[in-house]
Amino acid sequence: MSNVEMIFFWISLVIYSLASGGYIYSFVFKNPRFMPKMVILILIGFLTHTIAICARYQAQGHLPWAGDYESAMMGGWFIIAGTLYVGWRNKSLQALATASVSLVIVMMGFGVMRNPVLTPMAAALKNYWLYIHVYFAWLAFGAYTLAMAAGVLFLMKKKSLAAGVVNPSYEKFPSLDRLDELIFRYVLFGFITDTIMISAGAIWAKDLWGSYWSWDPVETWSLVSWLIYGIAIHLRITFGWREARFAWIVVLALSTVIISFFGVTFVIDTSLHTFQVR
Amino acid sequence: MNKIIKFLSSLRFTLFLISLLGVMFMLGLWIPQQNLVSEEIYEQWRHNSPKLLGALESIGFTSIYASSTMLTLWAFFFLNLALVMWQRIPLIKKRIALPEGRPGNPETAPGYPFHASYQLPTGMDAPAVIGLLISNGFTVSGDGEGFCGVKNRLSPIAFGLFHISFFFILLGGMISVYTKFVGVLDLAEGETFQGEVSRFNAKPQLPKIGTPPIVAFTVKSVLPTRINGTPTGLKVNLVDSRGVEHEANVNRPYKADNSSFIVNTVGPTPLFVVQDRSGKDIDGAYTKLNLTGGKEDVFSLAGFHFRTTFYPDYYVKDGAPASRSQEFKNPLFMVTVEQTGKTIAQGPVTKDGTLAFADYQLVLKELPYWVRFSVYKERGLSIIYAGFAIASLAVIWRFLFYRREIIGIVRQEDGRALLVVAGRSEFYKSLTEDEFTSLFEKILALKGRTDT
Repeated sequence: MSNVEMIFFWISLVIYSLASGGYIYSFVFKNPRFMPKMVILILIGFLTHTIAICARYQAQGHLPWAGDYESAMMGGWFIIAGTLYVGWRNKSLQALATASVSLVIVMMGFGVMRNPVLTPMAAALKNYWLYIHVYFAWLAFGAYTLAMAAGVLFLMKKKSLAAGVVNPSYEKFPSLDRLDELIFRYVLFGFITDTIMISAGAIWAKDLWGSYWSWDPVETWSLVSWLIYGIAIHLRITFGWREARFAWIVVLALSTVIISFFGVTFVIDTSLHTFQVR
Repeated sequence: MNKIIKFLSSLRFTLFLISLLGVMFMLGLWIPQQNLVSEEIYEQWRHNSPKLLGALESIGFTSIYASSTMLTLWAFFFLNLALVMWQRIPLIKKRIALPEGRPGNPETAPGYPFHASYQLPTGMDAPAVIGLLISNGFTVSGDGEGFCGVKNRLSPIAFGLFHISFFFILLGGMISVYTKFVGVLDLAEGETFQGEVSRFNAKPQLPKIGTPPIVAFTVKSVLPTRINGTPTGLKVNLVDSRGVEHEANVNRPYKADNSSFIVNTVGPTPLFVVQDRSGKDIDGAYTKLNLTGGKEDVFSLAGFHFRTTFYPDYYVKDGAPASRSQEFKNPLFMVTVEQTGKTIAQGPVTKDGTLAFADYQLVLKELPYWVRFSVYKERGLSIIYAGFAIASLAVIWRFLFYRREIIGIVRQEDGRALLVVAGRSEFYKSLTEDEFTSLFEKILALKGRTDT
């Protein structure tokens, strides 16, 4: 890490933590007055996060494309960008940040422990398909995370309503029907970008490794998560799974995406996706 | 028979199969796969757990992705897919057809989550409203006494296209399996290759249908680059039999005859020469040595055996030879000379340096590189890529450009024209209301709405 990058990285992480704490406070103590201020805090954190990425680009000459630290950094940036965009379009969705920012904190915290040294661009990454494959991977991760966040909020609000608890924080959210449909919309967007990501990755793999599909663990996990979201979409469209059942699927399905992004390379060193970064 | 077909074409069976496939994939991630782990680790596992490994091998789970269980699941999957799609064709035709007859009353028609009425601005009539809907992408039939507009009515076709893409990938995959050639080839600078199968390392995987790569080229130069230990490039210049120059690099293989020559490793090809003490050459050869990662390799000249290790950027660390980096900045070979199993000399050899042994000396005259190519030849890739493209486009088409439907009438009320509409879309209800509200606010230039 360069010094500027390190400073702004940690500032971002602190700001996200404060924002996340503010949202949790709003729910636990039923005080939604903090929520609009947390959005401003997240926006500031997003700006410092962007500066950290720019600092890294300036220091090593390429955007952060590879390795767990860079994946966490850029993946987190896409999730926050998606959260802010969705909240800007619809103020009642600003509370999605409750779940999405918390996940970003964990991701970035994990990433910074995984060798954030500056590295030149490895030969294996010098291909235009990198930009397409990784860009759509982050879009998919961001969309699935927003779906998970909406799922968490749906379940919390439903539980609160069922228990007859009056919590003014939940009134900041959209209705349960609307949340349910938003979950599906985010899943669909994630599935579209996931499909493009896998296709682009396979075409790139042919030139890099000689085969469009090698059953590499990261490849296989990405296929597993794609199948799971495909099953979720089938259950929704064909069997009418909605509301709590669908929300639970979406919340749990994100774990397969996290495993394919971070879990596999955490456990094994021999995946083709290591790209000699470590 | 009908019951069997009904079961095989049911969506529950589809979900069951997809779930089973997912379980098999995850088993493949947990059980070490023979083609993904090194032979050494696999044999160690066999030594530690012979019964377990034997049991897993007997059911094919150590090569699970090509096992008979997996292939059976895939066969059922594609059978189920074909049957489901065959059943869906009439439904798709029904969904993409334009509605016939007069549409229902938008105020009372069931199945439309969006209901609204708008007083039309002065001067705007039914044909104008219909024209605005058409300019917003709707196909409209009817008139002011009852019209129906449909947008993206062909979207259900994308469902079929998405699933047909799987068959493209299946077809292309099967063709690639039967025509696949895989081999590893080491070539030094200045060396020519003319497609000889015997030149490949070990025994290459020959295609069941078709020929090995029919190519001819000469390696002109090899230039590896590293920055701070990270390999940042491996440029290989080639000249084919027609004299055309090509450049291969990591991520940019040399392609010819449906084959890819992928560069992945580089090593030294030293020209060692054994001379007598007067300097006369006795024996010499360019020797491709596999010395990556500190490995030792052997070669023979003039009846002597030479064992050697290689330090690309040699320096002495704590009294022992070491290498600062993998870049060829200060290359040095540590050579042990043997004859009839006995070591007779040992020492370093640098470029233009010598190692004296017995009545001879070993001289390193040149130090070019060799490059390892992973060679793949397979057909069917264009069909597979077409499948990917169709799948990607179809999923975008289906889920972003889904069907919307509006029915409406224009009637006179209190001397003003009143537009009454109802709308619905696939997949959504609440979000549909937002969408149609925005649409009518836009086309009628309204800021609010009057609900009925």
